Amino acid sequence: MTNPYQPQPAAILDIRPETAIDTTFRLAWDTPPSPGQFYEVSLPRLGEAPFSISGIGDGYLDMTIRKVGRVTEGIFALQPGDHVYLRGPYGHGFPLEQLAGKRLVIAAGGTGLAPVKPVIQYALAHPERFNGMEILLGFRSPEDILFREEIAAWQQQAPVHITVDRAAPGWPGKVGVITELLPGLDLAPLDQFQAVVVGPPLMMKFTVRALTERGLCDDQIWVSYERRMSCGLGKCGHCKINEKYVCVDGPVFNFTEARWLID
Amino acid sequence: MHDTPSETRRVRLSCEEADILLDNLAAHYRLFAPVRLPGRGRFSDQDAIRYAEVHTVHEIEHARRSHFSPKEILFPVSQTLFYLMDDALQEPQDDPRDMLVFLRACDIHGIARLDDIFLNNGPEPEPYYARRRARIKLALLECRHSLDEHCFCVAMGTNRTDAYAMAVRCDEGQLLVEVRDDDLRPALPASAAPADFTPEFPTADPQPVVVPDADRLQSAIRDHGFFAHPMWADYAKRCIACGRCNTHCMTCSCFTAYDIAYTEQPNAGERRRVWASCHIDRFTDMAGGHAFRDENGSRMRFKTMHKIHDFYQRFGRHMCVGCGRCDASCPEYISFATCISAISRVLEER
Amino acid sequence: MSTDLNTKLIMRNAYRITSDRRHTCLRVRVPGGHLEARHLSLIQHIADTYGNGTVHITTRQGFEIPGIPYEMIPEVNRALAPLLEALEVAIGVPLDDTTQGYPAAGTRNVAACIGNRVCPFANNDTTALAQRIEATIFPNHYHVKVAVTGCPNDCIKAHLQDFGIIGQAAVEIDAARCIGCEACVTNCRKRVTGALELQNMIAVRDAQRCIGCGECVLKCPTGAWSRNPHKFFRMVILGRTGKKNPRLAATFLEWAAEPVILAVLRNVYKFIDEHIDRSLPKEHLGYIVDRIGYPAFRDALLDGVALNPQARVAERLDFHGYWHTADGIMQW
Repeated sequence: MTNPYQPQPAAILDIRPETAIDTTFRLAWDTPPSPGQFYEVSLPRLGEAPFSISGIGDGYLDMTIRKVGRVTEGIFALQPGDHVYLRGPYGHGFPLEQLAGKRLVIAAGGTGLAPVKPVIQYALAHPERFNGMEILLGFRSPEDILFREEIAAWQQQAPVHITVDRAAPGWPGKVGVITELLPGLDLAPLDQFQAVVVGPPLMMKFTVRALTERGLCDDQIWVSYERRMSCGLGKCGHCKINEKYVCVDGPVFNFTEARWLID
Repeated sequence: MHDTPSETRRVRLSCEEADILLDNLAAHYRLFAPVRLPGRGRFSDQDAIRYAEVHTVHEIEHARRSHFSPKEILFPVSQTLFYLMDDALQEPQDDPRDMLVFLRACDIHGIARLDDIFLNNGPEPEPYYARRRARIKLALLECRHSLDEHCFCVAMGTNRTDAYAMAVRCDEGQLLVEVRDDDLRPALPASAAPADFTPEFPTADPQPVVVPDADRLQSAIRDHGFFAHPMWADYAKRCIACGRCNTHCMTCSCFTAYDIAYTEQPNAGERRRVWASCHIDRFTDMAGGHAFRDENGSRMRFKTMHKIHDFYQRFGRHMCVGCGRCDASCPEYISFATCISAISRVLEER
Repeated sequence: MSTDLNTKLIMRNAYRITSDRRHTCLRVRVPGGHLEARHLSLIQHIADTYGNGTVHITTRQGFEIPGIPYEMIPEVNRALAPLLEALEVAIGVPLDDTTQGYPAAGTRNVAACIGNRVCPFANNDTTALAQRIEATIFPNHYHVKVAVTGCPNDCIKAHLQDFGIIGQAAVEIDAARCIGCEACVTNCRKRVTGALELQNMIAVRDAQRCIGCGECVLKCPTGAWSRNPHKFFRMVILGRTGKKNPRLAATFLEWAAEPVILAVLRNVYKFIDEHIDRSLPKEHLGYIVDRIGYPAFRDALLDGVALNPQARVAERLDFHGYWHTADGIMQW
């Protein structure tokens, strides 16, 4: 019996700071996951933690990591050429087939942008497969904005709306919660839209509510849940919400299912 | 679990013959049964009753429920997943010997529930559990009646079982034995006298417990805001989130993994997994500090739903097997059996 | 004719000299503070028949039966016999003639908290130990106060006795059962002495800080902590109330086994006999030791005592009592 807990080493190719506390690590990795899946990343003797994928490329994965604990502090101490240990990918990602041909509304809050970024990049790289895309991004402050270069590139191809919860004087952009970006969206014809909403629990709750108030049906909305996945295999129970296990049934859920995930 | 027995043997054994049986079995199996650990109970001068390896019949505690369940034989409280030497991960060697576990009907059903999670949930079987599971045979410790006021196996439908390799009844110093498994039959002493013994099962719980219909419960959750029912707020005032109900439970299977580095040799260490509990703080903590179900009533609700609803929706049978250990261990005298009956009442009143 | 009494003999028979010149008050001992309820009817009978129909419950867990005319003492003693048989002789106290009342009163009733027959915190059956102590030191005329408590919460106020016996649990952890939940660590830090911490995710006990309260066993959700079934005791000594220098007892022994406790208590009387100031009507043990010094007292207590290997003896005593200093701090 092979041991699914046995991780594989992955060399760090590149380290790119995004904000004061978030850094993107590019890891050498040959088998590409689906956007939205996650890996368990470990450092021997420091521990293991789940991370989503913020970039998928030829021979590499990107993980955008915030320094918040023992494992991440260990990762932040590493240099290019050092190794981390991966097992995965786990879970169901975003259903690119079901999004195909649709107009996409992507709403991402804070680090929730990380798992959605590969979806955005995929859609922009294959414009023929989609019928346009609106990108709504919310961050706590201008200093918390992730992927600045990428966002600048996206803005050449699709409307990108950014808002921050608070900003120092001089911030030229919008201040407010992400739901305030929704009234400005043209959602016609309604049935042509598919929405992807990822972010902190409250952000997802209110964004989904606003989208349904604008007329979107549950089955047009996709969300991704963040939980403290430990095993990734549907055994350890940490990520269970009602009868669903986020690690195997999610982390991406259609809202027809996610509406019943009550904590 | 085992083949249809070609020839079931039913015998009566004297004390000496029973020990010969155990000796013979011990040649091939490690034998596990509930035993009394004098003075090791929660309160002073009280005994602990726990699963341990046994060699003689008199070591087996026949009359009382073990405080902790036999799940720890398959799913230890703490288990090393890997030894970590520099960058190498090495799996520890598990004891390769087969095991025979003496346990009650509810606990045999409990193992089927553990199988559902460890073997059947998710994309693949969990190897550490699966390895031990493949090495285990089950010996039914007969309960002719409920052991005490905490039992509710009849309500959960776990009072009867035929999923055992052998069954035993302690009968006035003698042992009545039914052996159904071909591998075990040769262990019977040649002198064993035939006896008319098939195990009996409890047919009534000491107190009636009403299990809510899972589908009606789902409708109550989805359409009638059952999670906001005041009963959960009441538990918020009573439950202290100590987690004993989880750790004593036969079917609670959650765990947490962590790494350590040996103090004396920091380049070596372990990746361990230990039991985790949805009642105990930090179970849902995420990096950065966010946690779900902060309040104890919602933890009670989460556990209760898992035991009598969520698991059912996934596997078509309830997770709870009515062994009563949660009720027997709760320091705040919260009765899970009372809780699920109360849920049934709430559904009726709607 | 006025009453003519030998008050010394009256008091040694466990009767008080009272504020009422015609009436005495009987002190009934209840070793370990726990008795079969049926004995209460005899206490009631004596109070109703010989006393004034009332009973006072003492801090030492005895009963005082007031309002007994002095001349009734022999009759009361005969009526008392069944109680002496049940509460003293039955537990091994050597009494020759139970119809003569209590043969001594100086060594006071050995009191006990309710212990593990009822209390989940108790680390032993305090009543049973108090009864074995009673059988070891009673009857005796020297004034010695002993009490037994089941855990360091000290509900019986062992710290106000000449000898306070505090049940200690030698707790042991089965590391293979520890899930690192910190229930024991947090509780010990908040409620006890902070003797526990996690080392590599497993609870570890600092033997220098652990006072053996056993609460980690109560808190542990997996049964990782348990008590060693061997019982151990801390003995605190020379606590007192009183007018001159009230103080809490200080620790003399830790992790002592029961035979050590009993042997030490047996040795007390020889020390008192050798050192008591007979010019005083009565000298309490604490004041004797204040005069003679702890080292001599310690040596006398431990004379011939085989200490169990776990037992530890105090090098010195630190009392934190106070001396009445009205001139210094009180304002008129």
